[in-house]
Amino acid sequence: MNRDWAAIRAVVARDFTAIRRAKAVVLPMLIVPFLLLVVLPFGIGLAARAAHGADLHNILSKLPGGIARPILRQPPRQQLVILVDGYLLAPLFLIVPLMVASVLAADAFAGEKERRTLESLLHLPIAERDLFYAKVLGAWIPAVLISWIGFVVFAFVANGVAWPVVHRVFVPTALWVVMIVWLSPAVAALGMGVMVRVSARAHTAQEANQLGGAVILPLIFATVAQSTGLLLVSLPIAIGVGIVVWGIAITLLSRGAARFTRDRLAASL
Amino acid sequence: MPGSPSIEAVDLARRFGEAWALDGLSLDAEPGEVIALLGPNGAGKTTTVRILDGILDPHRGHARVLGLDPRVAGTELRRRTGVLTEAGGLDDRLTLTENLLTHARIRAIPGAEARRRAGELLERFGMSAQADRPAQGLSTGERKRVALARALLHRPDVLFLDEPTSGLDPAATRDVLALIAGLAGSDGATVVLCTHFLTEAERLCRRVAILEQGRLLAFGSPAALAAGLWSGLPVELDVGGPLDERSLARLRTARGVTSASASERGALVVVDDRQAVPGIVAAVVTGETPVFSVVPRPPGLEDVYFALTGRSGIEP
Repeated sequence: MNRDWAAIRAVVARDFTAIRRAKAVVLPMLIVPFLLLVVLPFGIGLAARAAHGADLHNILSKLPGGIARPILRQPPRQQLVILVDGYLLAPLFLIVPLMVASVLAADAFAGEKERRTLESLLHLPIAERDLFYAKVLGAWIPAVLISWIGFVVFAFVANGVAWPVVHRVFVPTALWVVMIVWLSPAVAALGMGVMVRVSARAHTAQEANQLGGAVILPLIFATVAQSTGLLLVSLPIAIGVGIVVWGIAITLLSRGAARFTRDRLAASL
Repeated sequence: MPGSPSIEAVDLARRFGEAWALDGLSLDAEPGEVIALLGPNGAGKTTTVRILDGILDPHRGHARVLGLDPRVAGTELRRRTGVLTEAGGLDDRLTLTENLLTHARIRAIPGAEARRRAGELLERFGMSAQADRPAQGLSTGERKRVALARALLHRPDVLFLDEPTSGLDPAATRDVLALIAGLAGSDGATVVLCTHFLTEAERLCRRVAILEQGRLLAFGSPAALAAGLWSGLPVELDVGGPLDERSLARLRTARGVTSASASERGALVVVDDRQAVPGIVAAVVTGETPVFSVVPRPPGLEDVYFALTGRSGIEP
């Protein structure tokens, strides 16, 4: 079936505009990225500048050789900042697309019911699948963009603050590139897939966020975090984890799309 | 198709869980006609609109709107219908113009044309001064007006209006009713009006469907429905107080009188036709009871509605 891209774009643009103006949604959503991608690298950079070089041999000896060896080759003053900013923060970064996508998805699906705007949307000449894609894209694109913008800010902060110690651009590492380009869109899609299902049962965005944020997403995040230990092993494994995450996300979204029917939505009003 | 109805519904039924929200609704509407769906909350009015516009599937029966089956050709149908939902459905975070233009884009109305129409409609509904302000903070009446403007943006052939005047002040109500009459008259749109205000249905609609708890109690013109309920013409007799039993007995034997019962100000008498009126006056004044007025009162929609829903009014 042909997609009505003009209608999809119209819904996406509407959701972008609405979200941009919803301070109650945007501000809490930006706090975690700010702490993780600005405050933390800033603090680590300052610590590296002040310290004469911590002894990281114990920590580095527990990491895969592929990561530990290049760090150990660096001067001791650089090791802490390269270890944290270049490697350890990368898996943690995945919380950003996951959280942003889930908040936006709750607003896009359950929020429509809460604001009593869903019915007028259902009465428009847009196919169910197009409406579903529009709602998913309207949350997924900003989640990925915020992650990417957040990463650019992070890179500036990390490199800038640590410059007096490192004297070169050390972020992004290859691991970061995989995280940003491959894994963060996948994790955002996974968050969307979960929240689409959760939102179908919730009547308000808050209810969806509570259900998703308190129960389901932490479980997913714990699983992702566990698996991200794997991410540090080697890049092919990181890419493999991405394939698995994409697979789960696409499965969840496909099942969500199959259940996204006007009849079901209208019956829930 | 010329001559074919704009809306045709046969035995529509829909349940939610075990409860039937709509159970056996059949009706039709001609092009340019305004019909009303009358009933209290929970009568099935909104469910009917949702089925006719193809956003809910019926569990029984079928419908055709503008010659299209809403279940099969819903998207195509919705290009030609406009809906004012009970809540209005404006996004508070968008300006009034943005609320209209978003729907215009989804309806594939070209940008310049959409902006022109949106401006005209907001002007027509007295909302142009607030066009660039967010919908948040609008009164109920203002929201209704903007939502109605949005429903008209693409000049629909069929318009579903769910409680269009609830929450409106008298002046806004008058304006909206005039607009609905104009839409059906000059623009030729078919209008389905869901309401529990009997006066606006009586004023605007040639035919009404009366629903209760999902069941269609009657569909037709108020006069035809009344004729089916009552034979004869009710007449209100004012004698300054309830008529005594002897006078009532004389009335009941007068020529052309079907029934007579005491009322607060005199009696309610049902006669065959207006030719019987002089006879009932004579029957009363014979007993030296003064008659202040005799007013034939053909049953209106209100009488029909309350008689059908079994609440009060003229007994059939």
